[in-house]
Amino acid sequence: METLVSNAAPRPRHRGVSQWALAWRRFKKNRAAIAGLFVIGFIGFMAAFDRLVAPYPPSCIIGISSQCPGGGLQSYRPNAPPSLANPFGIDSNGYDVYSQVVYGARAAFLVGMGVSAISMTIALLIALVAGYYGGIIDNVLMRFTEVFLVLPFLLILLVFLKVFFTFNTTATGGLLIVIFIIGILSWPGNARIMRGDILRVKEFEYIEASRQIGASGNRILFRHILPNVLHILIVLTTLQIAAAVLTEAGVSFLGFGDPNSPTWGREIALGAQSVNQAWWVGAFPGIFLTLLVMGFNLLGNGLRDALDPRLRE
Amino acid sequence: MLRYVIRRALYLIPVFFGITLLVFAIERLAGDPVTLLTALNPLITAHQRDLLRQFFGLDKPIHIQYLTWLGQLFTGNLGNSYGIGGGAPVSTLIASRAWYTLEIQLLGLFFSLIIAIPIGVLSARKRYSKLDIIVTNTSLVGTSIPIFFLGIVFILVFAYNLDVLPAGGAQSTIPSQYPFGNLFADILWHLALPTFVYTFAILAPVVLLIRSSMLEVLRQDFILAARASGLKERTVIYKHGLRNALIPVVTYVGLYFGGLLAGAPITETVFNWPGVGQLFVLATNGLDFPVIQGIVVIITLMTLVANIITDISYGYIDPRIRLD
Repeated sequence: METLVSNAAPRPRHRGVSQWALAWRRFKKNRAAIAGLFVIGFIGFMAAFDRLVAPYPPSCIIGISSQCPGGGLQSYRPNAPPSLANPFGIDSNGYDVYSQVVYGARAAFLVGMGVSAISMTIALLIALVAGYYGGIIDNVLMRFTEVFLVLPFLLILLVFLKVFFTFNTTATGGLLIVIFIIGILSWPGNARIMRGDILRVKEFEYIEASRQIGASGNRILFRHILPNVLHILIVLTTLQIAAAVLTEAGVSFLGFGDPNSPTWGREIALGAQSVNQAWWVGAFPGIFLTLLVMGFNLLGNGLRDALDPRLRE
Repeated sequence: MLRYVIRRALYLIPVFFGITLLVFAIERLAGDPVTLLTALNPLITAHQRDLLRQFFGLDKPIHIQYLTWLGQLFTGNLGNSYGIGGGAPVSTLIASRAWYTLEIQLLGLFFSLIIAIPIGVLSARKRYSKLDIIVTNTSLVGTSIPIFFLGIVFILVFAYNLDVLPAGGAQSTIPSQYPFGNLFADILWHLALPTFVYTFAILAPVVLLIRSSMLEVLRQDFILAARASGLKERTVIYKHGLRNALIPVVTYVGLYFGGLLAGAPITETVFNWPGVGQLFVLATNGLDFPVIQGIVVIITLMTLVANIITDISYGYIDPRIRLD
């Protein structure tokens, strides 16, 4: 057998270029999207290696806590301006702003990924079922979605979080609760867009053809419809990450976030209180927050242009 | 049309019950507002706390509380607050602040539309030009800046560094601080920063929306027909093109209107603006249930009404759309 295989003529290599490779070619030309990807990679690196990148541990109050590097040698100097040792300065509680920004990056990535995973899973399931089965199922699911769309999202979120953190002031994993609540409140818009596209794809002739040759409902749904709305799922996920990071920052800014996680929103709120004495406390986390959200927005738009066949010129 | 409005109004009912029940349930999980309210009073006795609970109706089972509240609501009574404004009626609290919220939001919307429409149209007409690329990328950056961060930057620059605008609030506390000794000038002076930040925040998404919508419309056959019949470019773009391109913008503005009050907590906190959003933050922090419920109900109703108005206005912009 082996000799047979090795003696066989090499298979022709004209396999054509896959759709993904074509999309990547288009994506590469979009400089803004590449810049977005670069920013995400940079901040993602900070988030992934936070303990190595940050000079101080998360709970180190410089000049007071013993676990700080160099411990008692430093003096307690809240609101100290940027220096070589503290490139982004020190905040009004005595924490190193640069280290807080690094830990905030980790929180932001967790929130973005976690929220979009929850939100997109719910949205995809509802959209697939509603779009494919249609009729009364579609009607019921879409009314349900509309009820969620009308919810005053931020207000409900604030009440939820206030309730949770009043109960559990020292809860570990509070950030997971924030992620979970934002996730289950932010799927309706995505579900509606995806359903529209599934309805469109469902009418294509090849779906009809595969039904004619006796493909099962599940096969049509997952082998034929899902791959054809995958690009929309990818784009929406990217944009959802940006939206989730912004929402969490706003909530933390108001003081409703997880009290035990260092987040950019919390640091910006601290900076807002002393903005005329120490601009650096709010400015650096704010710049990183803007950069990360911008990165995901640029990436999402680049992906949309590259992946959506309807936009091709 | 009337049938449509009635159907939509009927649809309000389940939405309304769903949302109020949800808020009621979450609140009652929150624990005891009386403990929170009296935490700073060392002299209070357990009996006095019980009396307070009875007074607020918190001693009754939750379904009784909900039904009592609903009953009051249908007579137009939102109840009294637990602590904010010394137990003032919730409707009075909201009414005294609603104008402040509407004021900056409407001004922001107005200015951003006026600026965004010509920019978006121009960008679409000169697609892929230098100008278009700059407009698109600037708008993308603009949509990414958190509005509260932008607000703080402006406060730092204009209120502290340049010292030309107030850092917050809606009015000076004493008349001697009025610019030119004029109350109206003082109000405008305080409006400037929040309005500017709101305008900026709405501007970017609207520019992108108008651009993409306009691109779609300019590809249509009727634009070609209008050009072929020798109409002026201006007429083709603004009369035939823009009118059709405005439909998604109307949707956006409609949705925006719905969320008008809802998005306010963050910005109003930044500018210490005495609006409904700030009231909501105060109420949530103090577990002031009647105020929370009142604001959620009013905002939900506003959203639903705004959606209906949006749908109706489609018919005026585009006669091809028929509601039934």
